[in-house]
Amino acid sequence: MTEVQSVGVAADTKPILLYNDECAVCRHIGEWVRRVSTNAAGETRLLGRPIGDDPAVLRLLNPHLTIWDAYATIHLVMPDGSMKLGGEAVAEVLRRLPATRGFARCFSVRIFGWRPCQSLLNLAYLILADSRPIFGCESCGTTAAWVRPFVWLGKRLRSRDVTARPPA
Amino acid sequence: MSATIDVADAIGTLTHSTFKRAVDENIGPVAVEFMSYGCGHCAELEPVLQEAAELLKSEVACYRVNVAVEHGLAAEYRITGTPTIVMFAQGAEAGRVEGSAPQLAALVAAIRGPFESQHD
Repeated sequence: MTEVQSVGVAADTKPILLYNDECAVCRHIGEWVRRVSTNAAGETRLLGRPIGDDPAVLRLLNPHLTIWDAYATIHLVMPDGSMKLGGEAVAEVLRRLPATRGFARCFSVRIFGWRPCQSLLNLAYLILADSRPIFGCESCGTTAAWVRPFVWLGKRLRSRDVTARPPA
Repeated sequence: MSATIDVADAIGTLTHSTFKRAVDENIGPVAVEFMSYGCGHCAELEPVLQEAAELLKSEVACYRVNVAVEHGLAAEYRITGTPTIVMFAQGAEAGRVEGSAPQLAALVAAIRGPFESQHD
């Protein structure tokens, strides 16, 4: 996951986390971030915004941001218009949340130029992104091969749960 | 994961206010993809559909309708899943294909098919 260069377009005074509102997992994470990034006085350290349906609105944030890419990978649009994607976006969000700021320092730790915690986070992000269909996301496209048995198992368990429930 | 496409768009976007003129009043062949930007299968189809639209631009006018916004059009054309490509000839539905077709040749054949069968 990479950092996209700034193109000199000011997004806002705070970073904007773009999330897929049609995916239950992404929606819950986006709403959690919005909630915990707001302090008691109502001040927020970053903004959470559903990606929406208008490609032109996203291009205003960054001309290189296509709506398809926004739905494919989590994007954090920085105030200078640059973007952080995937695991890098998650790390930046954690750095800005009061509750996780201290813990998130580990993502900047380098050992001979390599960032082990960031690499682990990137991997965790990929696994979570791939495994969203297990949790019922039907808008996440073709399920990765390694996830399919778990999706099948999840559907079986959910259908068993429904049939086992007594009628209201 | 990523479905990066070129910013150049060979497929026009229709809304309920532009649909009638582009499709119902068009005597030529028209293909309309009913899709949503949050649909992973639509994202997989998008680059292939862009190529197909470019290839067919002299024969078939290609458009998209975002069903997340255009609920009325989705209901009117009984769209039950995305992506669904509906082919129109002289404003009337001539055929449709549902689901992702990741091969360009298969997609081009699927779009051309209903119009060729009308000529036979």
